[in-house]
Amino acid sequence: MTDRLDRWADPPLLVLASLAGEPKHGYAITQDVAETMGVRLSAGTLYAVIARLEARGLIEPLETDDRRRPYRITMAGAQALAQQSERMSKVASVARERLSTSLGWAGA
Amino acid sequence: MRPPTSPGATPPGSTPPGSAPHRSTLPGTAPPGSTRLARAALALYPPSWRARYGDEVRALLDDSGGGPSAVASVAWRAVPAWICPPRHLHDRPARMRSSLATALAAWSMLTGLGLVFAQLTQLQGFTAPGHPEVRWAYAVFDVSLALSALVAGFGGLPLWLLMLRRAWRERRPRDMVYLLLPLIAPAAYLAALIVTIKLLGRANGVGPWWFLVVALAGFAAAAAAAAGPGLALRRLQPRGPALRVAAAAAGVAAAVMAVAAAAIVVAVVGLCLWEHHFAGYHHGTLPGVYLALVVAATTVTTVSAARGTRAALAEP
Repeated sequence: MTDRLDRWADPPLLVLASLAGEPKHGYAITQDVAETMGVRLSAGTLYAVIARLEARGLIEPLETDDRRRPYRITMAGAQALAQQSERMSKVASVARERLSTSLGWAGA
Repeated sequence: MRPPTSPGATPPGSTPPGSAPHRSTLPGTAPPGSTRLARAALALYPPSWRARYGDEVRALLDDSGGGPSAVASVAWRAVPAWICPPRHLHDRPARMRSSLATALAAWSMLTGLGLVFAQLTQLQGFTAPGHPEVRWAYAVFDVSLALSALVAGFGGLPLWLLMLRRAWRERRPRDMVYLLLPLIAPAAYLAALIVTIKLLGRANGVGPWWFLVVALAGFAAAAAAAAGPGLALRRLQPRGPALRVAAAAAGVAAAVMAVAAAAIVVAVVGLCLWEHHFAGYHHGTLPGVYLALVVAATTVTTVSAARGTRAALAEP
C-alpha cells in the first residue's frame, strides 16, 4: 500500500529503518520499505537519500563486484535512528492516548 | 564502523542477505523505452555523482523498471545534486585545479581584451571632454589590471614553483615546457611584435589589417601562456597549501579584474555615447561585439575563480 499521508515518513528514516535489519542494496531497500512500511521510494529519491546518509556517515557501502552495492547502517546511523524512533514512539503514544480518551478509539 | 543493530551484517567482500537481486519477485513491468529514458536522465547529474552512484541507479532501474514516475524522479533529483552535492563526493583539490585552469584561461583572454582596449582608446588619447567618467574609467582600469596581475602572479608563484620543482625532479620535460609557457609565449610574441613593427611599421604604427593580425597573435600567445599551467595542473595534480593559496588568490584577482572590466564597459559606452566620431565608435557593432566578449570573459573568470576559492576556503 502506498498512501499520501506518509509525508511524515521521512525517506532517510525509512532507509535507516530498512538497513537496521541487515545490509541491503537499492532494490532490496525499496522492496523492504514498500512491504513493511507501505511507502514506495522512487529511484531518484532513494539515491538522493543514500548519498545524503552516506555523506553524514549514517550508512556505509559494502564492497561488491556487482553493480548492486549493498549498504549497512553505521553506529552513528543506529544512534540517529534510535533517537528518532524514540521521538516517534512518544508522538504515537500521545496520539493513541488522546484518541482513546476523546473519541473512544481503541486502535486499528 | 560496525553497526550495532544489524545481526545479519556481513563483512566487506561477501554477499549480504539483502544484496541478491529480486528480479524474479518483481520484474520490471514498464516499457523498455521509459527505462531507457530514466537511465538517460542520469546524464543530468554531476559527473562525480554519476561516477559514484550511476551504476547502482541503473541496476535499480533494471530491477524495478522505469516508468514516467521513475524518469521524473531521477531527473528532478538531479537539481539538488548540482545545487548541494554530497560532501563525500567533493574532491576539493580537483575542484581547485579545474577552477584555476579555467579562471586562468578566461583571465588571460580578459587581459588581452583589456590590452586591446588600452591600445585603441587610452594610447590613442581618446577622451570625452566634459565627461570625466572616461578618464576615471581609464585610471580605474590601469590600477585594477596592475593589481589583478600582481595578485595572480604572487598568489600563483608558490604553486608554479612547486610544480616546476617536481617536474624538474621527476624529469618531466613536457611539463617543464607547459610550466614555462607563461614566460616563453609572451616573450616570443613581444619579439615577433618588435620585428613586425620594425619591418612593416609606419610613423603612426602598423595598418589596420596588420593590427588585427598582431591582436589575434596576442590572443594566441595569451591562450598558450594560460593553457600551459592548466595542462600542468591536470598532469601533475598538485595538492596542499600552495594550491589553496593560488585558488584564493585567483578569487581576489578575478574580483579586481571584474572592476577593470566594468571600467572598460564605462569607457567604451562613454566613447560611443559622447565621442562617437572616433574610429570604431561611429556605429555600435564593433564595440558591441567587443563588450560582449568582455562580459563573457569576466563571467567565466569570476564564476570559475569563485568556485575555486570556495573549495579553497571550505572546511576539510
